Amino acid sequence: MARRKQPRHRPQKRKEARQGWPGRRDTFRCAGCRLDVPLDAPGTAHRNHCPHCLTSLHLDARVPGDRRAGCRGRMVPLSLTVRPDGEWMIIHHCLACGELGANRIAGDDNALALLRLATRPLAGTRLLAGARRAG
Amino acid sequence: MSSNKDIPRSVLSTETFRCVRCGLSVTAHSPDGARRNHCPGCLHSLHVRDRDGGPSECRSRMAPISIAVLRDGDWMIVHRCARCGVLTSSPISGDDNQLILMRMAVRPLAQPPFPLEPFGDL
Repeated sequence: MARRKQPRHRPQKRKEARQGWPGRRDTFRCAGCRLDVPLDAPGTAHRNHCPHCLTSLHLDARVPGDRRAGCRGRMVPLSLTVRPDGEWMIIHHCLACGELGANRIAGDDNALALLRLATRPLAGTRLLAGARRAG
Repeated sequence: MSSNKDIPRSVLSTETFRCVRCGLSVTAHSPDGARRNHCPGCLHSLHVRDRDGGPSECRSRMAPISIAVLRDGDWMIVHRCARCGVLTSSPISGDDNQLILMRMAVRPLAQPPFPLEPFGDL
């Protein structure tokens, strides 16, 4: 199969359940650090995690905003991945059911928390053990 | 066959599978005895199992996208199915390609979305 070149800017997935139906609040409270977070985020229309501690809640299944997960467990950030166009994504791990999910980072996410997540594979003891064996 | 008891399962098993991406014929058990689910050469996998362990109908290729670190320091590979987009994680085995593992581990730091220089002062 021919490998196509990825487009530079991928359009975001359309959101069926738009935030802001009548009576809907425009903030959510973080399940990890209890911070009140506004739903409007710079750079993304799909904010699903707290910008301070990066914790999320297991609500959506495949499509952002569909609310079809039925789990409502707390999702902790597990690792980072990079899309071919250079965007960082956070991979969340649900503590209740073990499901994994990916979400693009927002413009106001805590840079220190992101960097701690990015350096986690390099900070562990696995690389130290390998270096000792090599010499 | 009483003498087989002290021989590890990875030696006795002759079962192999063929990698969907690079075509390498791989033994189904890794040297440490665990059953493999990805090719040690290119780390690609096949979507044959659901998260709860049942068989999956997708049977599409799964590409490795990132390294997750467990609490005890072990690395896990996070795979993403190319067709249905499901994410799974699986432990690495001893003979996995270290170059690809390291490349995935440092990729976020190689393409940062914000400048990393201010963190040098911390």
